[in-house]
Amino acid sequence: MPDKPAATPGTRLTFWESMLRIPRQVVYLFIALAVIVPLFAPFVIRPTPSEPVVSLYNVIDSMPLERALVLSVDYTPDIEPELHPMTIVLLRHAFARRLKVGVLCLQIPGIGLADMAINQVVEEFNSRARTPQDSLRYGVDYIFWGFQTPLLTVLTGMGEDITKVFPVDANRTRTDSLPISREIRNYNNIGMVVSIAGSSLPLSWITYAQTVFGVKIGTGITAVSAADFYPYYSKTRQFSGLLAGMKGAAEYEQLVADGYPRSTAGLRRLATERMASQTTAHAAIMLLIIIGNVAFFATRKRKVKS
Amino acid sequence: MKRRLPLALVLIFGIWGILTFFLPHSVPQEIDSLFRNNTLRIMVVFALILGLSSLIRHHSEKIRRRREYYQYSWITLISLFITAVIGLFGGGLTPAHHGLLPTSIGGFSFHIATLYRYIIIPVQASMFAILAFFMASASYRAFRARNMAATVLLVAAFIVMLGSVPLSRQILDTLPGFAQFILDVPNTASKRGIAFGVGLGSIATSLKIILGIERGWLGGEK
Repeated sequence: MPDKPAATPGTRLTFWESMLRIPRQVVYLFIALAVIVPLFAPFVIRPTPSEPVVSLYNVIDSMPLERALVLSVDYTPDIEPELHPMTIVLLRHAFARRLKVGVLCLQIPGIGLADMAINQVVEEFNSRARTPQDSLRYGVDYIFWGFQTPLLTVLTGMGEDITKVFPVDANRTRTDSLPISREIRNYNNIGMVVSIAGSSLPLSWITYAQTVFGVKIGTGITAVSAADFYPYYSKTRQFSGLLAGMKGAAEYEQLVADGYPRSTAGLRRLATERMASQTTAHAAIMLLIIIGNVAFFATRKRKVKS
Repeated sequence: MKRRLPLALVLIFGIWGILTFFLPHSVPQEIDSLFRNNTLRIMVVFALILGLSSLIRHHSEKIRRRREYYQYSWITLISLFITAVIGLFGGGLTPAHHGLLPTSIGGFSFHIATLYRYIIIPVQASMFAILAFFMASASYRAFRARNMAATVLLVAAFIVMLGSVPLSRQILDTLPGFAQFILDVPNTASKRGIAFGVGLGSIATSLKIILGIERGWLGGEK
């Protein structure tokens, strides 16, 4: 490494020189501890919702009950810790409002994660239901369309007839036989589509669904890709709202907890719990960067003097 | 003929694809809908066959010639075969939806959802988790304020990184707002410039392909 001062045999390293030569195993151990310790000894910092998160919440919260919320679950297990809490909290919000919900996948690995999220949230609500009318029924209150391809066919076809795009649902039941299909026919019956993805798929929703059919689009993306999506939110509002990374999910969890305390009381808030670990990991990385830079300048000054 | 037919098809369907955005009449819209909903799906099935056959051929060849790490090709092919059989004949998304084949022996389940939940999810999550260690090590070793540009990058990254944890508001109340400003203004300005450039470039390349000027996709001159 160019920054490593050459260790001449017999000479003692100064403190800052030794700081530049910290073995990578020590760095790995430091990061591992920063991630693991808060998981066992969590601390909660109350998230303050940012403007893009509040915007998404407001659109869903003010959506007419005859309009459905559609979730496009397009992330893979590698980014599940960041994006899965978004799917869960969006489902909780929609079900707390008794909005109809449709879930689809444009990528195959999303199917399993979407199925897990739906089962979890439906179970949460149904275990608290006091009457059959309170409980959520598949095909009446929600539907899981599953995976369909190609992209263009799905995004434009949903503007015409959803049962043609998804003739069968994820469990191979004919969609036209389900009562919910009479209420969610095409984009005219959809209040918003939220695309939760670790790729550029949310932009395709803008290109084909929002631009052509005028349907509102929200998105949930990883923190690392947030900078790519802000231009479509900040001034143009092509995205009606945006959840960026685990922080976005935690902020949304806070809004739903404040807005629907009865429906969400006692439920685990995954993103909020995980934020402790993310906070210490960020702090650890920033500390390493500071140490690296101070050591770099200190050793450089010494070199110039000598 | 071998070259002219694909070129003619690209010209016709390329121009047709553009025209349908400007022709609201029901006839072109119906034809367009037919292409999008039926023809395109049929073509995708052929792409799947092509992809699968390429994968099988590549790994079979590797095993046959005993190339380096050919043992992993066995794992790929066996996994592909088992997953495909279970996926095709093992029923629906959950074990409750039975298929032609049983997907459990006693308490041991090998249903497609079980494979996904207990193999794919942990494997992919572990692979990605390792990245955090490399990133931390790399940022410690390479993220240095060597010159003006590197300093600006370092400071911006520092603020955005700090702004993306709730702790930032405890440190300085205006910090999240400033991180948001970096994303909203300088980031949006540069990203939009890049997006315009890429968009115009894509249009130019698409036109060259549609008009037959760019023929690289035909697979060479022969």
